[in-house]
Amino acid sequence: MFKKHIIFQILYIIVGPLCPASLKRFVFYKVPPQLQGSYLSMEDYHKPDQQTVQALRNIANRLRINSIKATTAVGNGHPTSCCSVAEIMSVLFFHTMKYRPDDHKNPNNDRFILSKGHAAPVLYSVWVEIGFLKESELMSMCQVDSTLEGHPTPKQQFVDVATGSLGQGLGVACGMAYTAKYFDKSSYHVYCLLGDGEMSEGAVWEAMAFASYYQLDNLLAILDINRLGQSDPAPLQHHVEKYQRRCEAFGWHAIIVDGHSVEELCKAMSQPRHQPTAIIAKTIKGKGIPVAEDKMGWHGKVLSKDMAESVMRDIQSRILNSNKRMYPASPIEDAPPVSLRNVRMPSAPNYKPGEKIATCKAYGMAVAKLGRYNERVVAMDVDTKNFTCSEIFKNEHPNRFIECYSAEQNMVSVATGCAARERNIVFASGLATFFTRAYDQLRMAAISDSNINLCGSHCGLSDGEDGPAHMGLEDMAIFRAIPTATIFYPSDAVSTEKAVELAANTKGVCYVRTTRPETAIIYNSNEDFHVGQAKVVCQSKEDQVTVIGAGMTLHEALAAAEQLKKERIHIRVIDPFTIKPLDAKTIIDHVRSTRGRVITVEDHYYEGGLGEAVCSAIVNEPGFTFQRLAVAHVPRSGKMSDLFKIYGIDRDSIAQLVRKMLSSSANAK
Amino acid sequence: MSYHKPDEKTLQALKDIANKLRIHSIKETCASNSGHPTSCCSAAELMSVLFFHTMRYKANDPRNPSNDRFILSKGHAAPILYAAWAEAGFIKESELLNLRKIDSDLEGHPTPKLAFVDVATGSLGQGLGAACGMAYTGKYFDKASYRVYCMMGDGECSEGSVWEAMAFASYYNLDNLVAILDVNRLGQSEAAPLQHNMDTYKERCKAFGFNTYVVDGHDVEELCKALWHAEQTKGKPTAIVAKTFKGKGLKGIEDQDNWHGKPMPKDRAEELINDLLSQIQSPNKPLHPQLPNEDVALADLTPIRLLTAPEYKIGDKMSTRKAYGVALKKMGDASPRVVAMDGDTKNSTFSDIFKKAHPDRFIECFIAEQNMVSVAIGCATRDRTVSFASAFAAFFARAYDHIRMAAISQSNVNLVGSHCGVSIGEDGPSQMALEDLAMFRAIPTCTVFYPSDGVSTERAVELAANTKGICFIRTSRPDTAVIYDAGEKFEVGKAKVVRQSDKDQVTIIGAGVTLHEALAAHDQLAKEGVNIRVIDPFTIKPLDASTIVASARATGGKVITVEDHYKDGGLGEAVLSALGEEPGIVVHRLAVSCVPRSGKPQELLDMFGISAKSIVAAVRRTFAN
Repeated sequence: MFKKHIIFQILYIIVGPLCPASLKRFVFYKVPPQLQGSYLSMEDYHKPDQQTVQALRNIANRLRINSIKATTAVGNGHPTSCCSVAEIMSVLFFHTMKYRPDDHKNPNNDRFILSKGHAAPVLYSVWVEIGFLKESELMSMCQVDSTLEGHPTPKQQFVDVATGSLGQGLGVACGMAYTAKYFDKSSYHVYCLLGDGEMSEGAVWEAMAFASYYQLDNLLAILDINRLGQSDPAPLQHHVEKYQRRCEAFGWHAIIVDGHSVEELCKAMSQPRHQPTAIIAKTIKGKGIPVAEDKMGWHGKVLSKDMAESVMRDIQSRILNSNKRMYPASPIEDAPPVSLRNVRMPSAPNYKPGEKIATCKAYGMAVAKLGRYNERVVAMDVDTKNFTCSEIFKNEHPNRFIECYSAEQNMVSVATGCAARERNIVFASGLATFFTRAYDQLRMAAISDSNINLCGSHCGLSDGEDGPAHMGLEDMAIFRAIPTATIFYPSDAVSTEKAVELAANTKGVCYVRTTRPETAIIYNSNEDFHVGQAKVVCQSKEDQVTVIGAGMTLHEALAAAEQLKKERIHIRVIDPFTIKPLDAKTIIDHVRSTRGRVITVEDHYYEGGLGEAVCSAIVNEPGFTFQRLAVAHVPRSGKMSDLFKIYGIDRDSIAQLVRKMLSSSANAK
Repeated sequence: MSYHKPDEKTLQALKDIANKLRIHSIKETCASNSGHPTSCCSAAELMSVLFFHTMRYKANDPRNPSNDRFILSKGHAAPILYAAWAEAGFIKESELLNLRKIDSDLEGHPTPKLAFVDVATGSLGQGLGAACGMAYTGKYFDKASYRVYCMMGDGECSEGSVWEAMAFASYYNLDNLVAILDVNRLGQSEAAPLQHNMDTYKERCKAFGFNTYVVDGHDVEELCKALWHAEQTKGKPTAIVAKTFKGKGLKGIEDQDNWHGKPMPKDRAEELINDLLSQIQSPNKPLHPQLPNEDVALADLTPIRLLTAPEYKIGDKMSTRKAYGVALKKMGDASPRVVAMDGDTKNSTFSDIFKKAHPDRFIECFIAEQNMVSVAIGCATRDRTVSFASAFAAFFARAYDHIRMAAISQSNVNLVGSHCGVSIGEDGPSQMALEDLAMFRAIPTCTVFYPSDGVSTERAVELAANTKGICFIRTSRPDTAVIYDAGEKFEVGKAKVVRQSDKDQVTIIGAGVTLHEALAAHDQLAKEGVNIRVIDPFTIKPLDASTIVASARATGGKVITVEDHYKDGGLGEAVLSALGEEPGIVVHRLAVSCVPRSGKPQELLDMFGISAKSIVAAVRRTFAN
């Protein structure tokens, strides 16, 4: 199995460089100097001349042709969803947006997010039009060796975040626009293209409320109201005035336009903006494909070869001769340089062994401390900052804290947006269990190669009286199933501070699981911590069983060790520190030296947590005896100590299981 | 009909009850030394008027199907809900003081351990969606006169799921639904974003199609009037946007910061209570709720069985997602209680087969997965319906908080996720469910079905309809061969041994497309004289440990699992957990180990090492070792 894994690694190494983005084998056309900066500013809008208008129309039609051609060539994709946005994309990329087409990640570029990710072919067609992609590459999109996937992913330089799960783009755009306005204090704008179907997603309205609350006047949303969803018309059909009313009620300036009129689009996009602006574009799904225009049953359907050819001929005939070539305007270069490398704590943790402090509080103090010496460390929360202790960061760095209110999905999207293009090191916190609300956003963050850091407090039964609604008992399961995730589960304040520092420097999605009750400091301030390195907290030569716990249960294990010592039973106690990756080697070595006996104890459900992680790590080790303690049912309200007893994850349960394990192995002899 | 103002005595009695509810809330939270008395006090008049003037219900029979429904979406105000039922006579006043104790059902947030709670709340923004499901059921399935009232906080109006529910309620003209917004200005850690900006709340509710009234939430007369008008309004749901003060009636605490979730200090409680007592004019005037119209039949709890066996022949090719649509339609034929819903993917999940046959029992929920799950939960409360909600499996990730809460709600909702794994092909990773098994396995009340052909899919649907707790059925996009006889019997927690001989050397466990890959590997290896045993677990949770252990033993302890899912939390780990302490068993796991990509299904199965080819290689490796 390992070999197989290596084979694929090698395969990637071979195939990787073949991708067009990394080969950079294209000649990008450079923006002629005479055109740079000569673009109209928003305040002095003039109607574009007829040549420009025609050129933009021509581009729109070429985008249609390429979208149809590509989807027919590969037999897959959503040409009708591309055709409704052809004029919008043309005007955005060749008239409105300011960016360097040869330098996709330039921090000064305007940002673009295709929230309706299934229209990927039209985005790729834009980059063919610009000259970055070859038409032949477009014609092999979605194939196993192409970096042009069915929905946009950051395998392409011009994609900041993956889309394809609907309703997530605007939240990410909010994070980018917030960064531009408040952190970068720069003039780049953020453009997000949404479909009408995805307007049913609540996440869109969370983002809408966020954008107006923070007056993100550098954010423009374009709503492609093409009337038809996947299996039915979208609920509001072509009632553009209803969309307008909803947008306005959520604090946006909303302009209704004919989405196929290049002039109307140019004008609307050039209007001065004093608040977030929505362009509600009434469009026709399948525009330009006569049999499919405004018709049900064409979502995600490609045209037959013959039909495609006749349609493309027809569209081609509408492309009028125009000598005018369109160039995107260059951006204003006012985004500050940012380096997120090697972000370190200025000093060692300042805790004394035995001191009592909750890991959730240690988290707040650690992020505040990290922020003291790193201007690009930012934090956010969902109106739980007094629980997660992120308010400690807020109090110290008010300008770098974003209150996201009770909207967990949007917070994760905002975090992803803030972290895009390596502008910020982001720490977003909430109660552990409420990250379940944003699991789709987290899943997409992995596909987006995002480096966001999340902290979930109040995990497990230790939340006590509030009851099961507030107890995170499945968070490790869901974060373990994120392929790019690192899961820190620190057990004292020292290791929490180290976890925060490591998270800031670890690629991928990092999750820090913290606990509400106070626990004793067990590590020295100079203790070294690494991702994937467990600590042996308690050991002797006479150890008979290895017990692995984390957070509260590590302290229960230590208490059990004390208790058992009186009976002359010695146990080894391991703190895994990171649950993913798990330090299999340390665990296996120590379990071997306790004659293969191992117990895990966790404040989490049985499935997908610490126990199963250990199970996966030690599988196939001969002669191991493995027992697990975890929460088996939906729990209830009560004092933490009572709950730990009832659900069998307290010191007594551990001690009892150790005794049982020893007596049964004695019987076996 | 015109509105008649309640007489002065009634109004005073309602005011008195409001203050009694405040007093109870203070006492309860003082006794537990935790809880949210200030969030209770803002809603005191609202609760008084709802429970003792507006709502129709039998106070001694809270789950009566004809009762009006009440959902406390702002679940942290639980103490006032318990107080209202104490005033109504259903629970003893003395019991209130056991709030949040380990042996009391009066938990920190409401759960259905209490007869007057239909769905657990406490994760904000979920109540209105469940209320929509109840209201839809009342109006369109039960065609009954009961009404649904949902009390929300202002903080939770930031949750997108609230606006999904708002859009749903107006789209389906749920005029039997009233949303009450307790706009008390203050959230947990600071003021809610719209503070007391009542106009903005009003505009938002109106823009989302609600008949909207802005009222003084502490004026019982205004509340009586607005709720009366709500009942008269046809064709639209109503929102009562109530301006209130957090901690209303508590001197020095009302409308102040930093009182969220804090009980009254012991030394001040008595004074605060005395102050409230002094405002009560007739402490002993009891008000009784109005009784409901009894126009709802008792729930039918008889099992629902397929009327005919599956009509597939071994070797027929079809996808399990399509088999789901066919099965659901047949279940709909078998019982009028079966209802279905989808998130605008019905032509992909094939729930449209049900819709065509039973259009009156299908709810299009559009692209709002959180709300769809809430609506499904709402429809299933009080056993009014057996609901099946379908979407791409990946998008249930969107509703995971709702699914988690459904377990706490003891819901029997059935969820069906299509398009699992890399086998969907070209659409790419955003559409591929590779963490759904991990998600659903970590739901304590969940049964996870992963059928591998048309026959077993049909039986999975039948079993799900009759299985308590949450059921999840994972279906696949590609066409696969029917491998079971139409008469084959299936049970929850019972695996099938699909291939076996006396000389089997390895046990392969696969499900869905990977079971078919395993069968292909079996045939290939058989030609080389190597026999392998192939097991279809059918349900991943519970997993049939005894069949797996027996097979593993029979094949020299060699086991290979293969799954179209990430390595964490899926079939492989379920098998490891099941094998637990069994000595001498060696398990190899084939699963997707990184974020996948677009490509043709078969290419991706190869690339991510879960195809027949990979299985054959893995089998050979077990011998090499």
